[in-house]
Amino acid sequence: MHIRILGPGCPNCKKVEALAREAISELGIEASFEKVTDMAEITKYPIMGTPGLLINGKVVSSGRIPSKAQIISWLTTAMSDEQ
Amino acid sequence: MNDILQLASTLIKAGWISLLDYLAAHVLLCLVPAFFIAGAMSALIPREAVTKYLGPRASKVVSYPAAALGGFVLAVCSCTILPLFAGIWKRGAGLGPAITFLFVGPAVNILAIAYTGAAIGMDIAIARIVLSIIFGIVIGLLMSVLFKDREAIIEQDAFSTEARVGPMIWLFFGLLVAVLIAGTLQVDLLTRTWFSVTVPLGLSPRLLATLGSLDLNLQGLVLILMLALIGLAAHAGLEDILERANGWTWATLALVIVTVLIAATSVQTAGSIVVGITGKLISITLLLAAITITARSLKREDLQVWLWETWRFARQIFPLLIVGVFVAGMVKVLIPEQWIRTLAGRNTLLANLTGVLFGVFMYFPTLVEVPIARMFLDLGMHRGPLLAYLLADPVLSVQSILVTSRILGRRRTALYVGLVTVFSTLAGWIFGLVLLATA
Repeated sequence: MHIRILGPGCPNCKKVEALAREAISELGIEASFEKVTDMAEITKYPIMGTPGLLINGKVVSSGRIPSKAQIISWLTTAMSDEQ
Repeated sequence: MNDILQLASTLIKAGWISLLDYLAAHVLLCLVPAFFIAGAMSALIPREAVTKYLGPRASKVVSYPAAALGGFVLAVCSCTILPLFAGIWKRGAGLGPAITFLFVGPAVNILAIAYTGAAIGMDIAIARIVLSIIFGIVIGLLMSVLFKDREAIIEQDAFSTEARVGPMIWLFFGLLVAVLIAGTLQVDLLTRTWFSVTVPLGLSPRLLATLGSLDLNLQGLVLILMLALIGLAAHAGLEDILERANGWTWATLALVIVTVLIAATSVQTAGSIVVGITGKLISITLLLAAITITARSLKREDLQVWLWETWRFARQIFPLLIVGVFVAGMVKVLIPEQWIRTLAGRNTLLANLTGVLFGVFMYFPTLVEVPIARMFLDLGMHRGPLLAYLLADPVLSVQSILVTSRILGRRRTALYVGLVTVFSTLAGWIFGLVLLATA
C-alpha cells in the first residue's frame, strides 16, 4: 500500500497524515508514506485544493479533511483492488 | 549606555501603544467576526459551487466574474490558491480566468478587507475590493490575449460537479456578516448609548494609576485578559473539534460571545464604573441569539469543520499579527518622517511605483501588511501610494514570484508581474486623483 499526501505543510495536511496513519494501524496493514510539499509538484496532480490524499496513486480526497471512517473504507477498497 | 536603555524603553513603549491600538474594542469587533466568517467560507462553501462556472466550456462572460468571486470566497487559505489556479488553467476555463483568480485571491480576502476598514479607513477597504476585481479581470484578459494557449485538455471534467449552498447556510452567513457590519458601521443608531447603568463599585485609585501608566483603560484590560483566556480555552476545546466537541469548546464559544459583547459596550471609569448600553450592543446581542438558533439547524459536522477552520486561521494568523503590530510600532519611531514624505508624500506615479516595489520586496505574513500600511500613513504617506502598496503586497512577493514562475514558466510570470506592477501603480494613482477631486 502506498500513501501519498499532497500539501505544503499546513495544519490540515498534518491532520490528514495523522488520520491516515491511525487508519493504517487500525487495519493492521503495512503502508509506505510519501509527502509532497513542493507547490509546483503538487499542482501537477489533478487536485484543486490541499491537502490531497492518494492511495496507490489514485486521488481519493482533496481540499478537505476526510473522516477516519472514510479513509478506512478507501483503504479497504484499495486492498481488494490489489488482490 | 543610558542612551541605549532610553532608546529601548522608548521603542518598547511605542510597540506597546501600537499593540493597544490594534487590540482596541473597535478592531476586535471587526476582526473576531471576520475570523468566523473566513472559517465559514472555507468550511461551508463547497468548491464546486463556484468551480462549476470555471469549466473548460464556460463562456468568458461567466468565467471571469466567477474567477474573481472564487478568489474572494475560496482563496481564504493560501493552500487553495495555487492548486486551484493550476486546475483552472490546465483543466478548466484557461489561463485568463486562472490569472484573475490568482490575483484576486490574496488581494481580496474577508480578513484583510475587514481589518483594513477598521484600522485604516473604509475608503481604502472599498477601493481595495473594487480595484482588485476590475484589474484582476483586466490582467486576466490581457494575459489570455497575449498568450494564446492551446485548448485545455479535457481529461476528466472535474468542473462539471454541481454543488449548492443550502438556504440555512446562506442565512447563517448573512447573520455572521451582519455582526461584522453592526460592529464596524459608524452610524448614530449603533454608536449611541441608549441608556447606561452605574455599577456601585469604584476602582481603586492605585489600579487606575497603574492602568493609566500603561495607557490602558478598564475595558482594554478586560479585553486583553479575555483574549488570553480564549486562546487557552480554544487550545483545549478546538484542537480536536473535528473528532468531538468537549466542555472547553463550549467555554471557548461562551468566552468569544462575552468578549464581543464587552467590546460593543461603552465603559466609563471616571469615579464609579458606568456601563453604557449602545445600539451596537443591542443589535449584536440579537444577532448572536439568531446565529445560535440558526446553527441548531445546520449539520453537526458542518459546525465542527467551521470551528476548526476558524481556529486554524486564528492560530496561524493572530500570533504573527501581534508580533507584526508591535514591531511596526517600534519601527515607526526609527524611520524619519522626512523619508516617507519625500518618497511617497504626494500622489505621483513614481510615489505609487515606490509603494508597489516596497510591497514586492518586503514579505509580511497575512494581515501584517495592514499595520505596516497604517505606520506609513502615520508617517505621512499619501493614500494613493498607500493603496498601491496594499494592492501589490499580498499578491506579489519574491517568494510567490518564484513559485509562480515554476508553474507558469518564466515568460508568462514576467509578463504577469509586469502587469500587476503597472496596474497597481495606476490603481493607486487613480485613487489618489479621485480623493483629490472629491476632497
